[in-house]
Amino acid sequence: MGKLFSSPKLLVIAVAAFAALLVSVAGGALGASLGLGFLGGPIPFISIPAERVLFIGSYPLLNSTLMFWLAGLILVFIAWRATRKMSDVPTGLQNLVEVIYEFFSGTADGVAGGQPRSGRRFLPLVTTIFLVVMMANWVGVLPGVGSIGRIETIEEWVHHHAEGLEAEVETDHPEYNHEQVETTALVHLLEEHGSDTFPVFDGAIIPLGRGEQARVPLNKVVSFTSAELHTIEAAIKDNALASGEAHELIERIHHDIEIGEVKEPFVYDEGGDREKSYDFVGQRAGLLIPYLRGASTDINTTLAIAIVAMFTVQLWGFRALGVRGYGGKFVVSPKKGPIAMFVGFLEGFGEITRTISFTFRLFGNMFAGEILLIAMAFLLPLIGIIPFMGLELFVGVIQAFIFAMLTLVFGVMAVASHGDHDSHAEDH
Amino acid sequence: MGSLGITFPQLLTQLVSFLVLFFLLYKLAYGPIVGMLDSRSQKIRDSLKAAETAQLEAASAAERVEAEITSARQEGQKIVAEARSASTKLREQEQIRAREEVESMLERARSEITREKDAAVEEVRKEFAGLAVAAAERIVEASLDAKAHSSLINSVLEEGLSQRKN
Repeated sequence: MGKLFSSPKLLVIAVAAFAALLVSVAGGALGASLGLGFLGGPIPFISIPAERVLFIGSYPLLNSTLMFWLAGLILVFIAWRATRKMSDVPTGLQNLVEVIYEFFSGTADGVAGGQPRSGRRFLPLVTTIFLVVMMANWVGVLPGVGSIGRIETIEEWVHHHAEGLEAEVETDHPEYNHEQVETTALVHLLEEHGSDTFPVFDGAIIPLGRGEQARVPLNKVVSFTSAELHTIEAAIKDNALASGEAHELIERIHHDIEIGEVKEPFVYDEGGDREKSYDFVGQRAGLLIPYLRGASTDINTTLAIAIVAMFTVQLWGFRALGVRGYGGKFVVSPKKGPIAMFVGFLEGFGEITRTISFTFRLFGNMFAGEILLIAMAFLLPLIGIIPFMGLELFVGVIQAFIFAMLTLVFGVMAVASHGDHDSHAEDH
Repeated sequence: MGSLGITFPQLLTQLVSFLVLFFLLYKLAYGPIVGMLDSRSQKIRDSLKAAETAQLEAASAAERVEAEITSARQEGQKIVAEARSASTKLREQEQIRAREEVESMLERARSEITREKDAAVEEVRKEFAGLAVAAAERIVEASLDAKAHSSLINSVLEEGLSQRKN
């Protein structure tokens, strides 16, 4: 402590850090329960599906896809820079990529039996998976990812969701005209998603500290009752939408959707016996659409990599053992008895299970990391996130390594001829 | 599936993206790096082999030099020995020749001396005979007793001759 007070520089830093801590505690969720919570920030809500940022024609471009491409670009750039001027005495980036290659080369040879080059056939995919997954994980930690975005209004949301439903209705009722199809889709949407909740926006910034409770169900923005929906459905069947009660109801619903404001106070069930009523009347509801989202927090990405990995594992197996040799692992002739057949079936099922576990291991870890970061930004804005960002970088490497290593191990297992099969072949 | 966010177009997008990325990384990074490392290890292997051969060559060259030095030394020693023996022989020959010459010179000198001496003795005898005759003439003139004095003369001559011979 004596040292701390003797150096003015250290003292200033210490005071600043303490002040930042105080501000972050008071301005965050803890302060909000005491009537403070002045720092704006994201509410701890994250949707499992990646959000659509923009439409290219009818193709929805996801924010996670953008980040996946960014990760790919970074990797390609590094690879290009590293191998542009290769020399026998490596320097800089060339050193780095060589170290990564050498590490995986050594590991692959070790796993694949110990002879030099025995693991070489696995290397391209294993190293690519490691690099791509690591970079996809890392870009998700960048500041601004998941926290900067735009607000999707109720109108837009309804529009996007109704499109898919309209296609369904068209195939179910080919005899409907355009208005009937549109209205049916809307009714289905309200029935299905009536109790879905949307964040309430106070202007452009979401008030911090209200958390999950700052959400309003769709049926408090668009008011309807099930009786009213039945009336509309009946009118659709009779093709009597042009006028009458149903027409007025639909007009009102469309109007509500367009305005997108909370129409009435509502009671939020906090679980147990506790209920809390909220009065957000007049405020707009919608969804926060982050422009960017960590690529590996989208199941599509992890599933795609897992599919490539497991598909290639099968390819390795078939190439090493032949169609009969490798296929014989899964499809066992009934002559060998029902147990062997069942084991073969389990082997095949195991490959699918591995794909799924690959997918959800990576997704789960990275998604949890994102939730952790958002939760920390919610609890302790400004500083709470810093150590966890470091942790996330570390987790990103570990998860990438696990993915790559499992691919390698599955590959080695696939190319190894299984002993009991051979001994059976000798018996016959 | 939909509520998990799995949709076919997205899955396809990510699949294609990953495969394109895989292809690019393979072309840009994996291929060149493997080529680089393989060529480098090949180079190292080659250099090691070259170094080994060079070492062996150097060793054999040193051996060859050593052998050459040894043979040269031996040759030198041989030459020296030969020269030494030749010089010895020459000296001995010279000595023998010199001795012989000396001896022949001595011989010649001795025979010359003998000859000279004989000639001198002859001359002296001739002179002595004349002298003796002259002396005898005088003695005879004075008191000749031919019989008594001739024996005396002869004895004197005998004496003189023997003295000369010695």
